[in-house]
Amino acid sequence: MSYFFQIVISGIVVGSIYALAALGLVLVYKSSRVANFAHGQIIAAGAFITYYLTVSLGVPIFFSFIASMIITFFLAMSVEKIFLRRLIGEPIISVIMVTIGLGSILDGLIYLTPFGSENFSFPHFLPQAPLSLGGVSISWTQLVGIIITFILIGGLSWFFKKSTIGISMRAVSDDQFGSMSVGISVPKVFGLAWALAGLSAAAAGCIIGNITGLNFDTLHSFGIIVFPVIILGGLDSILGAVVAGIIIGLIQQFSSGYLDGNWGLSGTGEVMPYIILVVVLFFKPHGLFGIHEIERV
Amino acid sequence: MSANLWLATGNFFTTYKQEQRTFLTSLDRSVFTFFLVLLFGWPLVFELSNKYMLVVDNVLIAIVAVMGLNLVTGFAGLISIGHAAFVGIGAYTIASFCQTIGESHIIITHFWPVLIVFSGIVGAVFGAIVGLPALRLKHLYLAIATLSFQMIFEWTIQFMTFFNQGQTIYVGRVFWFTGKVGRSDHYLFWYFIILTIVILLGFGIRNLLKTRYGRCLVAVRDNDRAADAMGMNPGLTKVYAFALAGFFAGVAGALHAYVYRGVGFESFTLHESIGYLAMAIVGGLGTLNGSFWGPVAIKFLDLQVETLAEIAGQYMPSSMNLATALKPFTFGLVIVLFLMFEPRGIANWWRIIKSYTKLWPFRY
Repeated sequence: MSYFFQIVISGIVVGSIYALAALGLVLVYKSSRVANFAHGQIIAAGAFITYYLTVSLGVPIFFSFIASMIITFFLAMSVEKIFLRRLIGEPIISVIMVTIGLGSILDGLIYLTPFGSENFSFPHFLPQAPLSLGGVSISWTQLVGIIITFILIGGLSWFFKKSTIGISMRAVSDDQFGSMSVGISVPKVFGLAWALAGLSAAAAGCIIGNITGLNFDTLHSFGIIVFPVIILGGLDSILGAVVAGIIIGLIQQFSSGYLDGNWGLSGTGEVMPYIILVVVLFFKPHGLFGIHEIERV
Repeated sequence: MSANLWLATGNFFTTYKQEQRTFLTSLDRSVFTFFLVLLFGWPLVFELSNKYMLVVDNVLIAIVAVMGLNLVTGFAGLISIGHAAFVGIGAYTIASFCQTIGESHIIITHFWPVLIVFSGIVGAVFGAIVGLPALRLKHLYLAIATLSFQMIFEWTIQFMTFFNQGQTIYVGRVFWFTGKVGRSDHYLFWYFIILTIVILLGFGIRNLLKTRYGRCLVAVRDNDRAADAMGMNPGLTKVYAFALAGFFAGVAGALHAYVYRGVGFESFTLHESIGYLAMAIVGGLGTLNGSFWGPVAIKFLDLQVETLAEIAGQYMPSSMNLATALKPFTFGLVIVLFLMFEPRGIANWWRIIKSYTKLWPFRY
């Protein structure tokens, strides 16, 4: 039984990181209808910036965490300003391909640095001995990671629900022309949505980097696995992203915990989220919490 | 008919049949014949080393695959991020024959045209199955469903021992009327075969787009509700577009298996899928000749970047690993620049050249 709970715990840990990574995508999609395929690279960049500041420049890890969030905040904002703003109103495939191209460019830039090919790990700053509760153990890194994740998710959803800027972002996602006519600057909102996505991506990158170590391929693959998460949750729902993130995390951990090794299966954690996603999409084509849009000719 | 047979300066059609001709002017026909002679003739004059001939074959295979992708993404407007998986299905159809009856069985070496078509049909069946979610899904939801298919395909190949867990499965040498195709002519032989297939399939698409089935695709892309109101069946059309793309991809995959004389998992990854999308975009989505320009441009660029990285690598410290960095960088840069400055792709340049020569020496 403790094996079961152990899997549940690690599923929730992984899932909440997925939720945090997916949150950025949902923010961008909700306001500007862009699916960002370069998210994995921004996650990786955030983690590498934190590592560089902490290890090479000797900044305390807490400050470098904040600093990397600020840097990616402006990085993502400028990406939106330079590349995506020209493509407003273009077909969805062009926008997707631009983000794929941007991701590829960032790939190239990261491969130029040692981070592209080598493995690093953050210096330990938390107690090494895992916390154990009735046979179920959770490491301090995971615990702190999950707490930071939920603080950030809570903060961002509060920002989205209550603050003036958040409300104007929701207004833009609802009706661009309507919000323009009441004096909301739509391009500013787009930029801000990207910036917040960059910020949450950097946070997710740092947490992943602390838990699993810094490897470009691992960090990069988070940019792909967030897609099943946001689609399962429904593209434009923050609650959906959180719930689906945890569901996908649990699915991954359960399938690699119980399926791998039986019947000669291996690596099912990689593929199970996609199978479940396809099955769910057959019954709920707009994900679990997505809004069913009424389309007219 | 008063129309100029060489340079049509206006629309002089009086019947639908005239409009549906393959070549609208004699100039079109002679340009096409010129290209045909050039493409079939140059290997007889120049001799290319096997290394470069393989690149040329590769480009032609990519053209077949991108034609399919252009049908589903360009004409029908359904984003497919799993095209390499369809290509893989074609290749693994051949591979599964090799695994069951031996790599040099007479069916594989002598009846390869049948097998190529069969792979196409298998690809079409899988395409239709993957297209089924398109009955209900739209836009990004559908794109991610195809991405899921890509992931499931990759995992299945790597998991199944029947497919050698993604390691290379060998395919035997084929026979032609003159006997076994040897090592020295292998790539040249396949150049002619694939070129013929490309031309046949190109004509196929061109004619398809003039029938109701082809126009259905475009109508569904532009507005599927309006198409529904006009009596088309958008759901069926979408599934059928995926099946068509699957057929092209399956043929491309079978050709890939024969040309490389082996099937390995690494040629059908997500990265390749994105590569096909990039080729379609750079060539020009929703145009037939875009499917020719795109693969040529991207593969040529790859080749140039490799040479450049080799040269630059001599002057740089080896720790920089320039080759792995330059490839994704230039690839991304080309996509972004094209989408920002020429979203209609190279096909648009072709169109501009055509209208320029048509109106020369008069201009707007």
